[in-house]
Amino acid sequence: MIGIIIGIASVITIIALGNGVKQKMISEFQTSNSGEQTTEISYDGEESASSGFTTSDVSQVKQQFGRELSHVEFKKDTNNISINSATVGNSNVGTSLSLLKSPMSSSRLIYGRNLSKADLALDQHLILLSSKLAKKVYGNAKNALGTAIMINGISYRVKGIFKPSGYDKYSVNFLLSQKTYYSGTTINRANTLKLTVKKGYGASKVTNEVVSYLKKHGQNRRAGNYSYFDEGALLKSISTVMDVLTYFISAIAGISLFIAGIGVMNMMYISVSERTQEIGIRLAVGATQKNILWQFLMESIMLTVGGGLVGFLIGWGFSSMISLLIPYHIHAIVTLGNFLLAFGVSSAVGIIFGLLPATQASKRNLIDILR
Amino acid sequence: MILLEKINKFYRQGNQMVHILHDISLTIEQGEFVGIMGQSGSGKSTLINIIGFLDRQYQGDYIFKDENISKYNNKKLTTLRNQNVGFVFQNFKLIQNMSVAENVALPLMYAGFKKKTIRKKVSDVLTKVGLAGYERSVPTQLSGGQQQRVSIARAIIGNPTFLIADEPTGALDSQTSKEIMTLFKDLNTTNKTTIIIVTHDPQVGQQMDRLLTILDGHLTSDSGVHKNEI
Ligand SMILES: Nc1ncnc2c1ncn2[C@@H]1O[C@H](COP(=O)(O)OP(=O)(O)O)[C@@H](O)[C@H]1O
Ligand SMILES: [Mg+2]
Repeated sequence: MIGIIIGIASVITIIALGNGVKQKMISEFQTSNSGEQTTEISYDGEESASSGFTTSDVSQVKQQFGRELSHVEFKKDTNNISINSATVGNSNVGTSLSLLKSPMSSSRLIYGRNLSKADLALDQHLILLSSKLAKKVYGNAKNALGTAIMINGISYRVKGIFKPSGYDKYSVNFLLSQKTYYSGTTINRANTLKLTVKKGYGASKVTNEVVSYLKKHGQNRRAGNYSYFDEGALLKSISTVMDVLTYFISAIAGISLFIAGIGVMNMMYISVSERTQEIGIRLAVGATQKNILWQFLMESIMLTVGGGLVGFLIGWGFSSMISLLIPYHIHAIVTLGNFLLAFGVSSAVGIIFGLLPATQASKRNLIDILR
Repeated sequence: MILLEKINKFYRQGNQMVHILHDISLTIEQGEFVGIMGQSGSGKSTLINIIGFLDRQYQGDYIFKDENISKYNNKKLTTLRNQNVGFVFQNFKLIQNMSVAENVALPLMYAGFKKKTIRKKVSDVLTKVGLAGYERSVPTQLSGGQQQRVSIARAIIGNPTFLIADEPTGALDSQTSKEIMTLFKDLNTTNKTTIIIVTHDPQVGQQMDRLLTILDGHLTSDSGVHKNEI
């Protein structure tokens, strides 16, 4: 019984967490509800404002792949956008900026005030300046507050000074509202092209075709390279690995279930020999061998199915607990199939390992028992 | 009803065959109240097991209700036993973790009766053996005499053709033995149940209508009407 409970519980725990991880991965790379799938082609080349994808690239791709693609658009870059020239104080700097959709964590703010949600939503022309650049230009970073900065011919007022970091989107010198930055300007180039592949066409196949087309006809093909990172293929291979892992661990759990089954058989044997008298009495008052067989078979099935259900609940609880403890927001997922698996395996164990002692019990010689 | 002709029984003991029953021939009619007496080890239980369809390894003919059943296979014999014989044992043989009612109900349960019918019959038969209202008791709460009454109730509930009791009073004191024998006698006279009782207690034997005596596997005397058949 304990063996069955532990066996089933461990199988369910593993499968539930495996399901959770898989689901998590799939939702990370979600396809839209309509069955359309979006992919991105990126351009790597010299960082010059004239390279990357151009409007003519977009219209050509649209024309060539009109059947397969429902949308072709520039992806509005938000992080680490390089700009040729910005005027800070009296100096001209080539630098980079990141765009904000939601306010920066206030712990980064050193001086002044953060950009609020309202600031980001309205066309406010406010900007946050990195402490590094502020110090370089103004000596004391605090002095930069309230000054004007020109980017692409548009002037912004410094509202706060933030602490830049090493690599992420905060490694830049300016932070400003995405809405403000893109308003009024129609983008005519970008480093990333976003494709929406229609339902029924293989997203990675179509995207690869677009990439080869661009390599031949793209406007800036000589200045850089087009590449497509196939997330779908990656996802597929990861989930294959997960499947293999799940099956492997399930196999181990299966072996422990088999051992548990032998435990059940042993228990039924003991129960049969302990209850010889009862068997004899039942046979003497009219039970047939079939009745006895059924009785012991039912008892062992009840035992293992009970154990299986308890194990299922424990496994469920245990995997939910684990999913709370691990940091990746993985929910333990238990499906009807998992339930049926636990139920089926434990009743199979009950039938297989209960049958032998049960047959034994029903074949006992009545005179010998009753003496 | 029961007709045994030249029954011989051998048991293998070690590597030799021991002759236990020697040419036993007898008849028992419907409604008889028969005792089988003899010393311990004389073969009484062996004989009664053959009569009660528990043992089919013997030589000779057993004619039951005009049918020769000595060549019946195990399955047919089991059916015959389940339909015709009620057993009462020396040590009661009640299932300890079941209530009195459940114990008594077993034969009807296996015969496939409805729950409602069973409940009614159980309380009727418990009244008959003097244990009305004991349905919910468990065997361990009862005295030896009461437990034997329960096992008699269980033996008669299915209305068997005959009742077999192997030393039913062997584990009881003499006062209780008397009460149990009175119960058997009542069942025989009022219900016309055929009863065959094995005993080595002469006091018990004297209460029988007919007494068979066995000595070392030979039927040595028969006090009944069939004396001439020996
Ligand atoms: N299963 C058996 N195997 C071998 N010998 C047996 C077996 N059962 C009974 N015997 C022998 O048969 C003889 C008669 O036994 P039994 O019929 O039980 O006697 P009783 O009931 O009159 O005391 C005894 O000597 C006993 O040892
Ligand atoms: Mg005996």
